[in-house]
Amino acid sequence: MKILHEQQVRADLDELDRAWVAPETFIFLPEKSATGEAWIAERLAGIPGDYAEGHFILLTSGTTGEPKLVIGSRDRAEALARHLHERQDSEAVQATVCLLPLTYCYAFVNQWRWARSLGRDLVMTDGFSRPAELEAALASTPASMICLVGAQLPLFHQHFPDATFPLVQRVHFAGGRFPQEHLADLTRRFPSATIYNNYGCAEAMPRLTLRKAHEADDAADVGRPLDGVKLRLDGAGELTFQSPFSAVAFMDEQGFSAVPDTQWISTGDLAEEHPNGHWRVLGRSGEVFKRFGEKISLSSLLKSVGEVWPHAAAFYKAHDPGGEEAHVLSLAPHPDKKEVREILLRFRKDFPRTHWPLRIESAAQLPVLPNGKTDILALPTLADKQEHWRQRL
Amino acid sequence: MTNREKLSDLLLDIFLLEPEEFSFDLTREDVETWDSLAVVSVAVGVKETFGYHFTPEEATGVVRVQDIIDLLENKGISFAD
Repeated sequence: MKILHEQQVRADLDELDRAWVAPETFIFLPEKSATGEAWIAERLAGIPGDYAEGHFILLTSGTTGEPKLVIGSRDRAEALARHLHERQDSEAVQATVCLLPLTYCYAFVNQWRWARSLGRDLVMTDGFSRPAELEAALASTPASMICLVGAQLPLFHQHFPDATFPLVQRVHFAGGRFPQEHLADLTRRFPSATIYNNYGCAEAMPRLTLRKAHEADDAADVGRPLDGVKLRLDGAGELTFQSPFSAVAFMDEQGFSAVPDTQWISTGDLAEEHPNGHWRVLGRSGEVFKRFGEKISLSSLLKSVGEVWPHAAAFYKAHDPGGEEAHVLSLAPHPDKKEVREILLRFRKDFPRTHWPLRIESAAQLPVLPNGKTDILALPTLADKQEHWRQRL
Repeated sequence: MTNREKLSDLLLDIFLLEPEEFSFDLTREDVETWDSLAVVSVAVGVKETFGYHFTPEEATGVVRVQDIIDLLENKGISFAD
């Protein structure tokens, strides 16, 4: 099986194109990963020979930190790229500017595969590692599309506070909660763009639903399923799916598992269906928990924080001195007293005390994973952490 | 900082009140955020700020700001300043 490293592809994008048309299945590995090569080699050796050709493999570890190889079908990825093109009305879009690593299934299918399948230009950038180059690419690429995760919005605010990008025609969000409360700012930044909330997961490789941002004012609303995608809740309220575009097999610590078309695959998210056919994603199942008998949704809390704090914010789980599960709010950059007070007053207005965080902390920057999402597992041990408020318990 | 100022700062922080919402005449009924968890926070805050540890009965018996002052004054912590 061919192993392709992100560094190789950065140096020569044709490497990825060659791997795609070669019969042999390839694995595309990120430059930065906590998963060791030995773990990967051992798992690859356990993948049955049926998958030796015509597939591709991506590594995901998500926010759980547990690595998983996700095996995709090239035909399915092509079909999804074309379907997204239609559903997102992208005929007028001529190029895509990449701010995320291509090893992330979102950028891999929605951008690289889309550009290749539909004959559009692909403009690679180093994202916010080189903000000046990114700004130039966004400002000069005609009729472009970009794919973002919500955690990147504060970086736009930080690096390009007043810039607008009228050449960008489509802005896609995925990989977490949609930043609905910043829609006015997004519309100002991208005045010509149609903005979409895309929902899915690596196992869906990667899309399940989408909606135009202006079709709803609820961040949890992820819209309707793509054609052929079926969604339903399992007994615990967790969203499961069947999709003609999904990954075909997985390999993780537990071993190899093929995914028959009849199998319902878990997204790991809690959800509910709206009578209008839209789905509402209520947060990762691990992000909704009970505290003193009250159901706490970190996603809802984050929405309230976002209404008064335009910068980076994330919650991590902790326990209070009584051993009860709780949550801590991390902010970046460091807030002043007035800003902390505003957040606290927002909590008071929107939630009972059991929902308030144990502490409010901050750092100069929140750590991010290579896919642009906040590295939640690293939040408790940030070196420059400051505490601004705490519940006395 | 006087003990009255220390107490008002503490309660503003625990109940998340605006300064103009606070007075020493407040009762538990007046303050929406004075719930059962806040009772624990008041006890912990008083220990941290004034060094006195309420007994469980004292903590749950506090229903007015003045009750806190009375309890602490009985322990020799003056609020006459």
